[in-house]
Amino acid sequence: MSSEPIERRVSYISDRLRGSICPICGKRYFKPRYYCTKCGRKSIGKMMETSYIYSEGILEVCTIINEATNRFKPLQPYIYGIVTLKEGDIKVPARLTDHILNSGDEFKPEIYEGRKVVFRFRRRYASEPQEIIPTTSLTFTFADEYYPYIPYETKEPKEISEKPGIVGYAIYTSRFRIREGDMERSVPFIDEDSITAAVEAGKLALIQSALHGEKIKKIYVGTESNPYSVKPIASKVAQVLDLGEDLGDGVKGIDAIDTEFACKAATSMFKDAIALSKYMAEKGEEYFTMVIGTDNSQAAPRGQPGGELDYFVGYGAAAYIIGNMDVIAEIEGWYSSTSDTPDFWRRDGQRYPLHGGRFTGEPAYFKHIIKAAKKLMDKMNLTAKDINYFVPHQPNAKFPIRAARRLGFKDEQCLPSLKVTKFGNLYSGSSPAGLAAVLEIAKPYEKILLTSFGSGAGSDAYLITVTPKILEKRKRLEKFNIEWQSSNPYLIYVDYNTYRRFKEGI
Amino acid sequence: MSNKPLIIGYGRTPFGEHYEKDPEELIEQAGLKALEKAGIERKDLDAVIVSNHFLQLTNKIGLEEGFISEILDVHIPMETARSFSSAINHACNAIEAGRYDIVLVGGVEKMTDRLDKIGDDIMMLADSWSYYAGGTMEAHHELMLREYIKTYGINGENVEKLMRALAYISHKNHEFGSRNPYAQFYRSKVDIETVIKARRGGILGLYDYAPISDGAAAIIIAKEEKAREIGLEKGLTIVGRGCATDHLSYTTRETLIGFKSTKIAMEKALKEAKVNIEDIKLMELYDQSTVMELIALEDVGLSKPGNAWKMIMNSIEEKKYTYRTMNGEVYVNTNGGLKADGNPYGATGGAQVCEVCMQMMGEAGDRQIPIYENAYALTMEHEGFGTKTYVCIFRRWMK
Repeated sequence: MSSEPIERRVSYISDRLRGSICPICGKRYFKPRYYCTKCGRKSIGKMMETSYIYSEGILEVCTIINEATNRFKPLQPYIYGIVTLKEGDIKVPARLTDHILNSGDEFKPEIYEGRKVVFRFRRRYASEPQEIIPTTSLTFTFADEYYPYIPYETKEPKEISEKPGIVGYAIYTSRFRIREGDMERSVPFIDEDSITAAVEAGKLALIQSALHGEKIKKIYVGTESNPYSVKPIASKVAQVLDLGEDLGDGVKGIDAIDTEFACKAATSMFKDAIALSKYMAEKGEEYFTMVIGTDNSQAAPRGQPGGELDYFVGYGAAAYIIGNMDVIAEIEGWYSSTSDTPDFWRRDGQRYPLHGGRFTGEPAYFKHIIKAAKKLMDKMNLTAKDINYFVPHQPNAKFPIRAARRLGFKDEQCLPSLKVTKFGNLYSGSSPAGLAAVLEIAKPYEKILLTSFGSGAGSDAYLITVTPKILEKRKRLEKFNIEWQSSNPYLIYVDYNTYRRFKEGI
Repeated sequence: MSNKPLIIGYGRTPFGEHYEKDPEELIEQAGLKALEKAGIERKDLDAVIVSNHFLQLTNKIGLEEGFISEILDVHIPMETARSFSSAINHACNAIEAGRYDIVLVGGVEKMTDRLDKIGDDIMMLADSWSYYAGGTMEAHHELMLREYIKTYGINGENVEKLMRALAYISHKNHEFGSRNPYAQFYRSKVDIETVIKARRGGILGLYDYAPISDGAAAIIIAKEEKAREIGLEKGLTIVGRGCATDHLSYTTRETLIGFKSTKIAMEKALKEAKVNIEDIKLMELYDQSTVMELIALEDVGLSKPGNAWKMIMNSIEEKKYTYRTMNGEVYVNTNGGLKADGNPYGATGGAQVCEVCMQMMGEAGDRQIPIYENAYALTMEHEGFGTKTYVCIFRRWMK
């Protein structure tokens, strides 16, 4: 049994790579310091807090670890080394993640040393089911591979938007894929889960929006695969990304909450975020909310009850920042539908969800999506022709097209959003990822109809209009956009057994 | 008469796996031998200082002073330290200050009792932040070697030569260890090719690292006046001591090659002993790995930085188990070093001192080296990964 206070203190520092800068001589430290060893007494109480999670580093020296300490054993073999940070002469120990090694291979450090690296947020090491989950950012990947270095340069928001909407967005999917037939699905690395994906996506959304984290006043994380039954992901994201005003003692002025409604847990909160922004705008205040949909989409192994889902599940997260300034896509209206339909469920204490077989289509998915979308179109006085893109929930490749046709959309209006064949079903991140794919190509003033679906069952429909501000912002994440994540030379394809092992994690 | 303390007795257990023995039995065995050797009674002791690194973690024993009081049935002051050299340091300080006349210094470790987690404990104590990032002790040694290779621009066949020099260190230490009846690897020789073959996948192998061990050692330290009083014939004077501390985190230190703490401790000890390094003919260095012996040769000043492997290569050609250094011929780790003698942390430094005693008094049997009049010997011990270093310099004392 681990010590919860120790794990927390180590996480607090290493999740964000917290450190200090001496305001007198500029010397930097990893781990917060109360005084500078160069300047001595005159620096006491003056040290400035800093963080290195957005930093770039260079892998100085490395070695392979075949025989790790006990908690790291499920990760072995892995590469471990010393990273020198770009800012100042700081060196930190770190583990290479997202990298598969075969124990028999000859280790050649020259392949790795001297390369630029980026820090990643991961589970630190294995834990028992009754323990808290230790995390860290003392893990890195190479900047010249799947996940590039993108600087985080904050800007003060300039313009108050008349209609609140999306201020920034990003999706995060892992480097690993399983390919079966025409379908590719994102597979978490063994140290990833729905918490780490939420943090990664949130971090990218901040980079894209250029918004300072302290401006975010509320965070919703929608998920159905939180590794904790009780303990929010939202608080972890807020702490790692330093969201909200600083109240001292590690406490932030932010409202953080997890939501659950199968695959619509995140989209449901868009309207709440809009309402908050609208309300605060009337008082003349800026207000930003982060909404994340994250899932290590659950499915029982093939052959077990519920194992049919194992052909479709993916892994990833989508993060949206919603607010009333510098909006890149205005949210014009919304409509939600709900009925008590048990098409997919997981009882407390059960590991994997079950679903209602053929009852998941007509009485669940189609009924709720079509009713919500139709009602919204009627309300807004629009037909399928007036809307450029239709983005439905995507549990598989067939359902979205059928729903689109029944609503009068042409296939071309729906296809750009379909990412299920690249990432698999991202559950809470599914339709938000589809929306992100469309935002990546949409032109200013184009209209998008987003309609999520959550089993249990319900749908949220939103009408969204793109603004010209999108052009500048989406450029910032160009190197790690959805197109890149869908297809690039650094993806690693794994077999079924590896996929299951990675998915179950440490 | 000098106020420098004297070692008047020593004793140790064999190192290795003592499955059937408690730590209490091991320290008792070593302590009684030391008392016998010194020819004194337990009532003559003024104090006991005992070292262990892990007993609280491995055996859930905290107050080992209590079991020493129980074994000896004495009620004198007792203190603990985390390495044998640290315990010597405390004892010498007290004797030099005039507080005590005779002190028993002991060290014990029982690592094999917790083979399941000893690797975690070692790493956690040596450098906790590296542990949190996934590091191991072996990885630290590898990283230092990588930094060494890169910094000194060693490439091509020179890397092979360096790796061969490291293998020779293991071979040499096993050669000495095979002649040391107390050593964990007594009677087992390891040739250079075996060391190299055990390295798989491009990294150091089994024969590059010291083993996990159980064992105990003890020495009796006394004021010179007291030694004469009890009629001691010969002993060992501790003529100089130095110790220094460096950051716990390896990555925040000034350099990734070598140990600043060793350099400082060495300088202090030489200064206090008023000897030149050329006069030291035997050195017991802390070879937790072959890399550590190589690095130690440079840190103590037997070789210029980046050159120790070349010096070792020359020694291989001479087919003598000595190093021909820039300061003359030196024997290093004649007990077999940590590699072959064993490395029960709290007792490791005790084995180093016992070896120096045996060699200087001509009691080292099969591995006896020639000892000249006025020769000096030295021990160097680390706590952690060079976090602390202790250097002691000794000279033979005759009545």
